[in-house]
Amino acid sequence: MRQGMAWYVCKRLLQGVVTVWFIATATFFAMHNVPGDPLLNDRAMTPAIRANLEARYGLDQPLFNQYLIYLGNLAQGDFGISFTQENRQVNDIIREHFPVSATLGILAVLFAAAGGVLWGALTALYRNRMPDYVIMFLVILGISVPSFVVAALSQLGLVTLNTLVGRSLLPVAGWGSVFHMLTPALVLGLSTMAYLTRLMRSSMLEIIDSDFVRTAKSKGVPPALIFSRHQLRNAILPVVTVLGPQIAVITTGGFVVELVFAIPGLGRFFVEAVQQLDYTVIMGTTVFYGAFLVFMVIVVDLLYGFIDPRVRLQ
Amino acid sequence: MSYGAADFLPVSGQRDVHGISRPSLSYLQDAWLRLKANRRALASLYLVLGLLFFTIAGPWIWRVDSAVQDLDQISQPPGVDRAALIVPDYQSWDGAGEAGPLHVVGDATSQSVRLKWDALPGANGHRVYRNIFPVGPELAYGMPLAEFFDNTILYHEDRLDLRPGRYFYSVVALGEDGAVTANYESLTVDVRRVTTLAEAVDRGLIENGDQLAVGDSIELQLHPLGTDYLGRDMLARLMAGARVSLFIGIVAPALFVLFGVVFGAAAGFIGGRVDQFMMRFADFVVALPFLLFMILFKIAFGIGPGESGVMPMLVAMVVLLWPATARLVRGQILQLREAAYVQASQLLGARTNYLVLRHMLPNTLGVVLVTLTFEIPKAIFVEAFLSFIGMGVAPPTPSWGSMSNEGIATMLTTPHELIFPALFISITVLAFNLLGDGLRDALDARMRNAG
Amino acid sequence: MTAAPLLQVEDLHVEFATHGGTVRAVRGVDFSVDSNRTLAIVGESGCGKSVSVQSIMGLIPVPPGRIGPGSALLRGQEILGNNVVNGRDVRGSEIGMIFQDPMTSLNPTMTIGAQIAEPLQVHRGYGAGRAREEAIRLLESCRIPEARKRAGQYPFEFSGGMLQRAMIAMAISCKPALLIADEPTTALDVTIQSQILDLMRDLQRETGMAIILITHDLGVVARMADEVLVMYAGEVVEKGGVDDVFYRSAHPYTLGLKAAMPSNRDDSAQVLTPIDGSPPDLFAPPGGCGYFARCPYAMQACEDNHPESFDLHADHFARCWLHHEDCDVEATDVHRTTASE
Ligand SMILES: Nc1ncnc2c1ncn2[C@@H]1O[C@H](COP(=O)(O)OP(=O)(O)OP(=O)(O)O)[C@@H](O)[C@H]1O
Ligand code: SF4
Ligand SMILES: [Mg+2]
Repeated sequence: MRQGMAWYVCKRLLQGVVTVWFIATATFFAMHNVPGDPLLNDRAMTPAIRANLEARYGLDQPLFNQYLIYLGNLAQGDFGISFTQENRQVNDIIREHFPVSATLGILAVLFAAAGGVLWGALTALYRNRMPDYVIMFLVILGISVPSFVVAALSQLGLVTLNTLVGRSLLPVAGWGSVFHMLTPALVLGLSTMAYLTRLMRSSMLEIIDSDFVRTAKSKGVPPALIFSRHQLRNAILPVVTVLGPQIAVITTGGFVVELVFAIPGLGRFFVEAVQQLDYTVIMGTTVFYGAFLVFMVIVVDLLYGFIDPRVRLQ
Repeated sequence: MSYGAADFLPVSGQRDVHGISRPSLSYLQDAWLRLKANRRALASLYLVLGLLFFTIAGPWIWRVDSAVQDLDQISQPPGVDRAALIVPDYQSWDGAGEAGPLHVVGDATSQSVRLKWDALPGANGHRVYRNIFPVGPELAYGMPLAEFFDNTILYHEDRLDLRPGRYFYSVVALGEDGAVTANYESLTVDVRRVTTLAEAVDRGLIENGDQLAVGDSIELQLHPLGTDYLGRDMLARLMAGARVSLFIGIVAPALFVLFGVVFGAAAGFIGGRVDQFMMRFADFVVALPFLLFMILFKIAFGIGPGESGVMPMLVAMVVLLWPATARLVRGQILQLREAAYVQASQLLGARTNYLVLRHMLPNTLGVVLVTLTFEIPKAIFVEAFLSFIGMGVAPPTPSWGSMSNEGIATMLTTPHELIFPALFISITVLAFNLLGDGLRDALDARMRNAG
Repeated sequence: MTAAPLLQVEDLHVEFATHGGTVRAVRGVDFSVDSNRTLAIVGESGCGKSVSVQSIMGLIPVPPGRIGPGSALLRGQEILGNNVVNGRDVRGSEIGMIFQDPMTSLNPTMTIGAQIAEPLQVHRGYGAGRAREEAIRLLESCRIPEARKRAGQYPFEFSGGMLQRAMIAMAISCKPALLIADEPTTALDVTIQSQILDLMRDLQRETGMAIILITHDLGVVARMADEVLVMYAGEVVEKGGVDDVFYRSAHPYTLGLKAAMPSNRDDSAQVLTPIDGSPPDLFAPPGGCGYFARCPYAMQACEDNHPESFDLHADHFARCWLHHEDCDVEATDVHRTTASE
C-alpha cells in the first residue's frame, strides 16, 4: 500500500515533467515562429544585450542546437535573460515578483475555498429559502461578471467610499501592507468562490439526501456533529478535485487584477512583457507559469488522495 | 352504514386497471417541454435570442457608423442635453471688461471661457488652473492653463477642449520666486454648448447657413448610449463589438466541440491502442495552461496591419479546448457500446455507421448541446480577458473586451464607457449560463427517467 | 397479558407535498411489537413500509414530508415527531435501525470502528479509546473476523455482507430494545442473506430485543416473523400471527402476494403468478378498496366503500368486504370465519 502511494507520486511527477517539457517545446517553437527576426526589429537593443543573447542562446547555430541549448538551460533552472533590459535575468525577475503574486494568489485561493465551502453549505442547508436565493443570486452575478470589471468597479467603489468618509479606509492600489492585499485578493478569488459555492451546494444537497446521513440520524447523532463529521467532509471532496484547475484560473486572473490594482507581481510584469514583446521574458515566464500550474495540479491531486481514503488506499 | 346482499355481488366486465398511460415523447421533445416549464431558462433563451437580434439586425436599424468620430461629443454619457446654441463666429478678446474678483466675462460657452480677476494680495503673478472636481483641502487645482509672472495681465481666455458641463477654475497667487503659494481664488463655471453656423454646416448638422440665425438652437447628433473617448457612438460600437464577441463566443465553441465530438467518437469507436494513444494526447493538451498558450499563439501568429486578430484567437481556441468534449463523447460512446440495445442491433447485422447515427447521435446530442451552451460564456470570457490585456482583437476593431479595456482608463470620469460593454458581457454570460443550467436539468431529468 | 407493548403505533399518517400534489404515503397504520418478538412488514414496492418506520425514527425530511395525525408510543412515551425522551435521543439508544443498501448507508470517509463507536460516544458518553474497544467487541459479536484490523478500515474495503454485519453492530451498540431492519438482506446474495438473518435471530435471543423486519421475501417472513403486517397502498390490509397470515390468509392481496413469490417450502416446480396492474395513485387514493382494480373477488360495494377492518380471530385482522356478514360471494382461497362458517 505504502509502496503503491510512492509509485503513484513518482508517476505523477514524471508525467508532470513530461508536460512541462511539452510546454517548453511548444513555447520555443511558437516563439521561433514569430514573423521576422525578433532580434532584428526596431526596438532599441543595445549591442551589449545582443552579444549576451547570442552567446547564451547560440543564435548563430541551427535551430535544433538552439533548442537543445534552451532545454539545457531550463534543466539547470535558468529561465533566460531579458531582451529589453540589459543583464536582467528572468530568474531575478521571477524571484523578485513571484512572491508578490504568490501571496496574492494564496490569499485569493484561501478566500475562495473558505467562502465557497461556507456559502455552499449554507445555501444547501437553507435550500429554497431566503438565504439560498440571495446567495445564489450573488453567485450567478459572480460567475457572470468578468474579473477585470469586478476589479475596476471595486476600485471605483473604494475611491467613492474613501471620498465619502474623507480619509483612506483601504488603499485603492499599490502593494505593501496587509490592507493593500485585501481588496485585490477578494476580487481575484471572487469568481472562483462563486464557482465553488455552486459546486459545494450541489454536492452538499446530494450528501444531505444520502443514505449515510440518514444512518447517522438513525444513530441519534446530534445535528452539529452530523454536519461536521458526516456532511461537510464528504461534500468537500468534489470541491477539492477542481481546486487544481481553479488555481490556474486564479493565477491567470492575477494578471488582470495586478494590472488594475498596480501590484508589482509577476502577472503584471508578464502582461507588460507581452505588450512590449519582450520575447525572452515571455518565454521564460510562460514556462515558469506552466511548470508552476502543472505542479499545483499534482499537489492538489495528492492532497485529494490524502482526504479521500478510497483514493489513498487504492 | 349498512350494506345489503346486493352490495356483495361480484363486479362484472372489465375494470380499469390502474396504469400510467402518458404519451411517449421523443428525447428532444421531452427535453423541450421540460425546458419550457423552467421559467428562468426560458427567460434566458429569450435573452439570447434578443442578443442575437441586437447583433444581427441591430446595425440595420441603428445605421450609425461605429468608426465615425463625433468631435463635438467626446466621452459623452447617455442622455445629456444635446442642444447647441448658434453663436457668431469667434472673435478675439483683449481682456476688456469690468474689474473685480475672479469672474467670467460674457457667457461661458464651449467656444471660450473668458476669466478676469483682480490681483490677489501679495501676488507676484498668477497661475490659472482648470479642474473637473472642486479644489478641496488637498488643493487639487487640476490642469494648469496659463502662468503670468507679474500682475500686468489679469485675464485669461480658456479655449482648450471645452465641453459642456461644470468646471472649477482657480487662480493661484505666485510668490516672489515664482512658486505657487496657498493663496488662491476659485470659481465654478457652467459651460454651455454652442456652435457657429459655419461649424454646423461643416459637421453636417444643417444643409447651409440660410436656415438658421445666430441665437437659434440646434440639436447635435443623437447617441442613445453616449460616445467613447474618441467620440464614437457607443451603441453602434456595442453592436459591432457584439459581432466580434459573439462570433468568437459561438463559432469557436461550435468548432472545438465539433472537433471534440469527432475525436472522441473516433477514439471510442476504434478502441484499443489507438484509443489509448488518442486519449493520452488529449490529456497532454488538457495539461497545457490554457490562457498562457492563447497568449503565445497570439504572439506567434502576430497581427499584421489591418487585421483584427479574430482568426488567430479562433484557431488557438479550437486547438486548445477540444479535449473536454472529446473525453465526454468517448465516455458516452463506451457506455452506449455496452448498452444492450446497441448489441441487439449489432446482432441483427446493423452496420457500424448505421449504429452511430441510430443510437449514438441522439443520445450524445443532448450532452453535447449542454457542453456547447456552457462553453459559449467561457469563450466570451476568454475573448474579453485577452482583449483586456491587449492580446485580443486589435484596435480599431471593437469587441466588448477591448471596449472595456479602453473604458477603464476613463472609469472615474465617464464610467459609462466601461459599464456598457461590461454589462453586455455579463448579461450574455449570464444568459448562456442559465440556459445551460436549464438545458442540463431538462436533459438530466430525461436521462434519469429513461434509466 | 402484560401492560403496554414496547412500541405501539396507532393511526399513523404520513404525506409528502410534491410538485404534482400531495402523496398520501401512509394512511392510518396501526401495529405494535413486544420484546423478544419479530414483526414482519410485507407489501409491494411503494406501499409505505419504509416511510412508516422512518417516520417513527424521525428520518422523514419535513418538508416535503408531513407526519400526523397518529401516535407512536415507546413504553408509553410519545416519540412521533419528537425522538428525545427524558432528555435523550431514543434513536441509536432505544431503537437501532439498519437499511437496505449497506454500501451507501455507511459514511465512506470514516472508519468502520469510528462509525460503530459513534452512538456509544453520543449516548453513553464513552471516551474515544473505550468506545473503540467496545466497537471491536461488537464487531466480534457480529462474527466479523479480525475485528481489530477491520475496525480501522473504511467501508470500501468491506464486502456487502460484512458491511451489513457492521451496520448491525452499529445499530445494537447501545443495546436497543428494538431493532428496525428495512430490507436488510435485499442487496445481498442468498448465502449471505441467511447468515445475516441468523445473526439477527441470535442477537435477539441474547438480548431479548424486539425486531421490526421489512422484507419482500415471504421466505424470510416465514423464517423470522412472529407476527406479520401486510401493507397495501399506505394501509394495513391484513395483520396476524405468522401462521394465520400464511395458512389462513384472509385478504385477496395476501393471496396475490403468496402466488407471486417463490416460497422455499414448495419443492415442486411452482407457477408464479404476478399480480396484474399496479397500485393506485397515492396522490388521490381511491375512496373504496385500494385493491379494487386488481382484486379477483371485487364486488359492487368495494368500489366506493372503504373496507372496514374485520376481526377474524384473536389478533388476526383483514381489511376486506369479503368478511362482512352479509357477503356470501364464493371465495374459496380466502380464509373466512364470519360468512362461511
Ligand atoms: N421524499 C419523498 N417525497 C415524495 N414522495 C415520497 C418520498 N418518500 C417516499 N415517497 C412516496 O411514499 C410512498 C411509499 O414509499 P416507501 O419508501 O415507504 O415504499 P416501500 O414500501 O418502502 O417500498 P420499497 O419496497 O420499494 O422500499 C411511495 O409512493 C413514494 O413515492
Ligand atoms: S374489499 Fe373487495 S376489492 Fe378489496 S380486497 Fe376485498 S374483495 Fe377485493
Ligand atoms: Mg423501502
